[in-house]
Amino acid sequence: MTRILVVNPGSTTTKVALYEDETPVWSETVTYPSDSLASFLRPTDQMDLRFRDLAELLRRRSVEIGSLSAVSSRGGPFKPLEGGTYRVTPTVVGDVLQGRVQFNHASLLGVCLADRLVQGTDVPAFFVDPVSVDEMEPIARPTGMPELERRSLVHALNIKAVGRKVAVQLRKDLSQLRMVVAHLGGGISVCALKDGFIIDVNNAVEAGPFSPERSGTLPVHALTEMCFSGRFTHAEMRKKIVGCGGLAAHLGTSDAVEIEKRIAAGDSRAERVYRAMAYQIAKEIGAMATVLKCMLDGVVLTGGLARSQMLTGWIQERVGILGSFFVMPGEFEMEALALGALRVLRNEEPVKSYEQS
Amino acid sequence: MSRGPFRILVVNPGSTSTKIALFEDEAQRDSASLAHPADALSRFIRIADQLPFRLGAVESFMAERDIRPASLDAVVGRGGLLRPMEGGTYAVDDRMAEDLRTAAEGEHASNLGGLIARVIADQAGISAYIVDPVVVDEMDEVARLTGLPEFRRRSIFHALNQKAVAREAGRRLNRPVQSLRLIVAHLGGGISVGAHREGRVVDVNNALDGDGPFSPERSGGLPSGQLADWCCSGKASLSEIRRKLTGHGGMVAHLGTNDLVEVERRIAAGDRTAALVRDAMAYQTAKQIGAMAAVLEGRVDALVLTGGLAASAVFTEAVLARVRWIAPVFVLPGEKEMESLAQGGLRILRGEETPGSYAASGD
Repeated sequence: MTRILVVNPGSTTTKVALYEDETPVWSETVTYPSDSLASFLRPTDQMDLRFRDLAELLRRRSVEIGSLSAVSSRGGPFKPLEGGTYRVTPTVVGDVLQGRVQFNHASLLGVCLADRLVQGTDVPAFFVDPVSVDEMEPIARPTGMPELERRSLVHALNIKAVGRKVAVQLRKDLSQLRMVVAHLGGGISVCALKDGFIIDVNNAVEAGPFSPERSGTLPVHALTEMCFSGRFTHAEMRKKIVGCGGLAAHLGTSDAVEIEKRIAAGDSRAERVYRAMAYQIAKEIGAMATVLKCMLDGVVLTGGLARSQMLTGWIQERVGILGSFFVMPGEFEMEALALGALRVLRNEEPVKSYEQS
Repeated sequence: MSRGPFRILVVNPGSTSTKIALFEDEAQRDSASLAHPADALSRFIRIADQLPFRLGAVESFMAERDIRPASLDAVVGRGGLLRPMEGGTYAVDDRMAEDLRTAAEGEHASNLGGLIARVIADQAGISAYIVDPVVVDEMDEVARLTGLPEFRRRSIFHALNQKAVAREAGRRLNRPVQSLRLIVAHLGGGISVGAHREGRVVDVNNALDGDGPFSPERSGGLPSGQLADWCCSGKASLSEIRRKLTGHGGMVAHLGTNDLVEVERRIAAGDRTAALVRDAMAYQTAKQIGAMAAVLEGRVDALVLTGGLAASAVFTEAVLARVRWIAPVFVLPGEKEMESLAQGGLRILRGEETPGSYAASGD
């Protein structure tokens, strides 16, 4: 029997769980009030704080690292990588600590925490399907400016996990299926999942539909003028795009539950903005369907916002015609991290090398 | 006793020439493209200052071909940059003439269309019209919002041709365009893909402003963060970046040419970069069509490909390979601007439509 410790840092939480083979034994979340982390400039500055709390949790749970089969962690926006399970090595940890990453996000901490945990033992540490998974086909990469190429930053871990679950429901192998998967969370990824590969996706950080906190694709002319207007610094512009864009910019909150309450109370502006988000998501799904030549085994909605019947209903009205519609709310990251490590430990899949990618 | 055909003079000013044609009902009887030497035009600071000069050329043409103003029933000019308005044929009223003369919404050679038409029409005591200018705006409110409240999407697109081919699709389907749900992809120097719901273009990418697929000359939509990083990097000035968005973006930026025929030659000769760029342009166009299909809830009566690039069998097939499952397809290459303008006037003269009022629209 394998014992796998799963570590998944998010912007305000560190989720931890212990798996025995496929079964979760326990799970816990360390939560940080958002202002307690605000003083740290970069996610990696939070290492000592997060590790201290993690170590304390493991002591409380009597977890002996040496007794584990593996530690499996979330992977952040590293350099572009294919999907899969990777060994955590000094190279990837070094890249994170030196800022050789595409984007700053708390998920970067995963490999650092895992690495520190297994120091002095011979327990392997892995990361699985990081945010930087890039399986885009060459045709999807050019933009209209040769200086800018489209980038793949995507909720790959959850997307591949729900892809596998849908495959089970359809009694097929993921490698035979064609789906459009939309992960609807703080950030939104809408992708074409073909034969298990994410062959196109909006850049969840800065393109595609707007989201609870991100502004998505913006009219280029207007954006350019604003950048050169002198009214905002580069950092302020980035905040408009990530962190304070989307629902947060329009309505002062990124909390969809709060927004739905306002809509129920008759707030028509909130409804107009929320509908516009659903509209943009539906358009992105329609676009991704053409990547699969409109021949789909299904459209899948996942992520926290997929809990919203209002939102999923509006989206289904526009794109339901594309085929079977699956709604799998929330995310299955902890399980996916455990299973990713398990596949490698059982030699069902080769472990991938960060250095050689 | 039958009346005889309606005689319509059509005036379509471009940046270096003025196209002019005489129609009798739907048939074009005479036409010319009056070239204006660059040194003649460069004397004028503002486009509106060219009016007497261009009028002179038009009147010479009319005299030469014995087209007397008194023999006309209407004069139709290409629409210019105006305040957003619904689609249709509009009389060139005082408010419109003022906005065109003062370039209130921007300078463009097409602003002269309504002005030239008005002068000639006044001589004959008949009406001057414009039809479906690029500023036609029938977008649904939900389509206008972006991820920042400061920015709203604008509707600027090839309205004249999009609406003309939509009508043609209606004729072929034997149904009035007001009953149809269509996607029209105009594939030209810029690419606009519009969702036409019962005669209204309820969503369309802004062909001019950096929105949607890249095209022979335009960059199309770009990832916001990367664009902001580039703008703030100091690596390029505002005017350099603006040039790359329109005029020097897209295929021109990648391959040094906006000519698809030239690009296809290079591909046939083994140029893999050219092939990737051409394929990526078709790919992005297909994605935009898919997005419009979602706007129409997947219930689409026809998909129409039009504009210059639709003359390329290879390019249209590259697009259609991804989208033909959406709806029956019509490929109507090119754009018949003069004919579309004439037909806009004809619909008024025949009483099929009443002209819109610019003074009453918008605001």
